[in-house]
Amino acid sequence: MRLLHNYHYAAAMVLFCVGLYTVIVRRNIIKKLIGLNIMETSVFFFFVSLGYLDGGIAPIHAGAADPARMVNPIPQALILTGIVVAVSVTALALSMVILLYRQYGTLDVDRLMREEEPEAAEGGKEE
Amino acid sequence: MKKVVALLFIVALAVLLLYVVANMPPMGDPENPTATHVISRYLERAEEETHTENVVTGVILNYRGYDTMGEVTVIFCALAGVLAVLGRERRGVIHAFVDRSEVPSSVIVKTMVRFVVPFIILFSVYTILHGETSPGGGFQGGAIIGGSMIIFTTIFGLYESSRRIPLKVRASLEGAAVMGFFLVGALGLLGGGNFLTYAWPRVARSLQPSLVVWLTVLVEVGVGLGGAMVLISILFAMIREEEEIAPAP
Repeated sequence: MRLLHNYHYAAAMVLFCVGLYTVIVRRNIIKKLIGLNIMETSVFFFFVSLGYLDGGIAPIHAGAADPARMVNPIPQALILTGIVVAVSVTALALSMVILLYRQYGTLDVDRLMREEEPEAAEGGKEE
Repeated sequence: MKKVVALLFIVALAVLLLYVVANMPPMGDPENPTATHVISRYLERAEEETHTENVVTGVILNYRGYDTMGEVTVIFCALAGVLAVLGRERRGVIHAFVDRSEVPSSVIVKTMVRFVVPFIILFSVYTILHGETSPGGGFQGGAIIGGSMIIFTTIFGLYESSRRIPLKVRASLEGAAVMGFFLVGALGLLGGGNFLTYAWPRVARSLQPSLVVWLTVLVEVGVGLGGAMVLISILFAMIREEEEIAPAP
């Protein structure tokens, strides 16, 4: 059966759904960010396994390496770019979360949406 | 209720995605569309065209140099965003790193970190400089340097680690990755070639291979240093406490 043979792809899809579920259901912003990172990781995993070749070798011309047996280098190069962008997004999002916590004293999305004035927050620092 | 709806939605999405996976070409088959198009040209010609043994490095820095330049700009912009949101520490002011853990770091942990960090940095230098001939490269090496400084900062605190890497050094090296790319691109223009092609028509043919290798190493070092400094600056901005303890003498 094709689904069992493509188990790398299937695992990536399941991981994506786990991440999306976390993003939707969790109320803590940091946990939402963790879910976002799980989704990103699943996309990277899917992409890199697209370049896999049965019995393939690393795409490095060392010694008498046969180019025909090398795995696809393009997904690896693209995902290297993707990882760096994911790190950038996470860093920027986390810094905004830090600022939100300083202003409102909570990480709960529902409570953040209800708060109108920073002064009304309990435990929030005055800026 | 909300959870049930979300779960139903996720299950429906999972079924759809798995149905697609079941109809995709078999994984690892040499006849796959991903393995039959542009890739064979990259694999066969990369060594003579980019003079790098590692094809991934050749693709990142040479064939898709523009992409990587844009990506390097993205992390630089992320740093600019973090600093715009959280602010940077001011020169001459000691910033506190408040240790909220119950137990302070023990002597064993401190000694181990002090012992291990130089070796981690040595390994990252190897990763950066050997990126053309083995797995590795600028981003990986830069991430390793950043990781070693994260270990150091969690154990010794912000004050100690910002003394090791002062603000001046970080501020001048954060743009190294972007600068490296633009420098090599501009040098290529001066050499009579195109932006970021690494091939200079005005230079003798016999010198071309070593020229390409040196320019690639220059970009790798720039990306490594710049990436590391961006990571360290983001870390410092995030753990910096608002209270300023005392102005430095």
